[in-house]
Amino acid sequence: MSGKKESMIEKIMNDPQPIPRKVPDYMRKKGGGWYWTGAMIMVVFIYEVLTGLFLLFFYEPTNAYGSTENFLNNTPFGSIIITTHLYGAYLMIGLIYVHLLRNLFVGAYKKPREFQWLTGLLLLVMTLGVAFFGYSMSGDVLSYDATDVGRGIAAGVPFIGTSLRGLFFGNGTDTSLFLYMRGWHIVLTVGIGMLFLIHFFMAEYNTIMPSGEDSKFKAPAIDKDDGTYKAWYPFNMVYMTQILFLVFGVLIIIPSILALLPGAPTLFSPFPQVSPSSPLAASVPSYPPWFLLFVYKALDFTMVQGIGPFWGTVIFAGFPLVYLFLLPYLDRKESLRIRDRPVTVSFGIIGTIYMIGLSIWGALTPGAAIPDEYVLLFFFVPGALVFLISYYAAKLMRDQKLQEGAEKIYLSIGVTGVASFGSGILILSSLASPSPLHLIGMILLLMVTAIGMAVTYAMIFGIRIKDREIQFKPMKKSSYTVTAGGFTMAAIVIFIEISIMPINSVFNDSLYGIGLGLIFLIVGAFIRLYRASIYGE
Amino acid sequence: MSNISPGPDDEGRRTFLKMMGVLGVGLVGAGALRGVIQNLLPSTSNVVSAFPTLILISGSGSPIKTGDITVNAPTVVLFQYPLENEPNFLLRLGDANNNDKAIESVSVSVPATGKSFQSPGGVGPYRSIVASSAICQHLGCDPPEIRFHPPSDASFPGLVHCDCHGSTYDPSKGFAVVTGPTTQPLPNAILSYDSTNDTYKVVNMVGPTIYGHSNDLSGGNQLPSKTTTTVLVQGS
Repeated sequence: MSGKKESMIEKIMNDPQPIPRKVPDYMRKKGGGWYWTGAMIMVVFIYEVLTGLFLLFFYEPTNAYGSTENFLNNTPFGSIIITTHLYGAYLMIGLIYVHLLRNLFVGAYKKPREFQWLTGLLLLVMTLGVAFFGYSMSGDVLSYDATDVGRGIAAGVPFIGTSLRGLFFGNGTDTSLFLYMRGWHIVLTVGIGMLFLIHFFMAEYNTIMPSGEDSKFKAPAIDKDDGTYKAWYPFNMVYMTQILFLVFGVLIIIPSILALLPGAPTLFSPFPQVSPSSPLAASVPSYPPWFLLFVYKALDFTMVQGIGPFWGTVIFAGFPLVYLFLLPYLDRKESLRIRDRPVTVSFGIIGTIYMIGLSIWGALTPGAAIPDEYVLLFFFVPGALVFLISYYAAKLMRDQKLQEGAEKIYLSIGVTGVASFGSGILILSSLASPSPLHLIGMILLLMVTAIGMAVTYAMIFGIRIKDREIQFKPMKKSSYTVTAGGFTMAAIVIFIEISIMPINSVFNDSLYGIGLGLIFLIVGAFIRLYRASIYGE
Repeated sequence: MSNISPGPDDEGRRTFLKMMGVLGVGLVGAGALRGVIQNLLPSTSNVVSAFPTLILISGSGSPIKTGDITVNAPTVVLFQYPLENEPNFLLRLGDANNNDKAIESVSVSVPATGKSFQSPGGVGPYRSIVASSAICQHLGCDPPEIRFHPPSDASFPGLVHCDCHGSTYDPSKGFAVVTGPTTQPLPNAILSYDSTNDTYKVVNMVGPTIYGHSNDLSGGNQLPSKTTTTVLVQGS
């Protein structure tokens, strides 16, 4: 080996690594779930592709709303497939944000994972695009609202706006619109699949991001097998199967339960809203999907209305994205410790607060114009607070006044910030329009704020909670066997139930979904038991 | 750490757990499979559950009378039944001199299966009016490729012929197969005649399933009217 720096491709070609890699044991222990957020996203993505292929058989771009409603109401198991497809998208986006923030806070964007970070960000953008098109395909009143905003943003791009609008939304007729959106929905999904493979093999090549103790909090953090790692098969495979079953279970159960509850709020309803030609359409507030609410609210600001929706999107979604893209090159320090990276960490927390705050704001006051002074207040106060607290906490940590491993303090700072912002809005709205909902929400959020502040205070100024040694205490062998048998019996009973039940209504569909989800969860729990019993994990 | 070491006494337990695990995974698969298959099977319930009874009407909306149907018409006269994309011939059969010919109900054999069915026979005052699916049973050609050729002389009684591959059907014998390559007669539409007001209704289908459909009642949209179907001359 010469001293010359090799490119990644050269390294892969000249020094192939065993794939799949073995991983350290702590990844499969309690708290190891943080190392598997990417795997969870992959599982949900697989679920989305599978259910999406079913929907492909039924979707008619010439009759978008009619075919959606027909699939939902008149096709056996239609409601379970379409509602879980929607919630799978929600879960995937949620997990992507979790994955992104986790990797931001542990410094996983640093050497040697810069390109992995960049492909991840591209995947985020593409996933949001896929979700936008998918959400808009139902042809309900909300989908028209969303596509109108989308068309406005596309048309606002300088010079090429009209062409971009045509490229993504067709020639302006409804049939063309839904044909194009279905096309992009699938094309982007294929793109995600391919880019994901690259992202995945980079992760295999660069190894997992090892724990802080292993890497001594220094970049480049590479995981090295010291010879004690267990074989990939069966240990890791069984663990990943467990993840798959648990994620599928959650994914199927949540929308099935929501489908049974009458009057779920528009934002979280698993069903499409009314058709835009319906007389009830006027009573549906125009919401975009929740994951785009923050941009939507930003477009309400008076200052944004002066510059148009495209530039609003550039400022409120584009700039943060550019920052994230540049992050590996802005923060080149070697240390992975949070206390040495107060700027990055503060931006992470502030960005999260802004996003959640804007989303709640958008949900509570859809479409209401916001004067500039409120906007400035909203952006300045939490921003300044978080920066000050972060710097102070980082300094205390450096001076050893704050115990090691107290990074959780940043979580409590974030929660406190969001909760205080939310309760502030709710205080205003319960004054403006008193209702039990606002009141309960306000009380709950005030409590969260108070607890968050107390926890933050406690973390900074003493009250050390003694770390308890987490020990693995196996149950008796016989009790494992009995529990496992019990699990399987329960699964058999539920299976018989869902096999003989008639499928003739959305209600029964949802019961089937709950049953199927339960079996998934039971099998997931069973695998956990199996690992504990046989592998001693 | 691993204080449960698999030993000989663990073998049975391990096998039991593995079997339970495989059983659980199998249950999930089977439970999901039911949904998957039933979801993709084209169902009849979401269109029409039974064959509708529809009055044959003209383009202007008034019911078709016997006089509206020409004997041995060389034009292609069609109505949709039971769904929108399922055309049927409406034929008034006659001899070479264009006199009405009474059509008897006969047993029609299906060469493909070796079974047979009873044709409905002609209806109307002269029992000369019959109807059948206008989709060729060979490879699904539609009118005008498949059409009725009126009788020219005593040796040619008038047959339905498909130009695509040469299949020929005899409308006076329940649209039975005369020459291949088709191996199935045309599905017969069952008509009923109301002599009190000289109107025609289509009530059912008999014979093979309409070409390309898993079921006569699936694979198409419901007709716009639940009581009538319009008789139209193709090309007009």
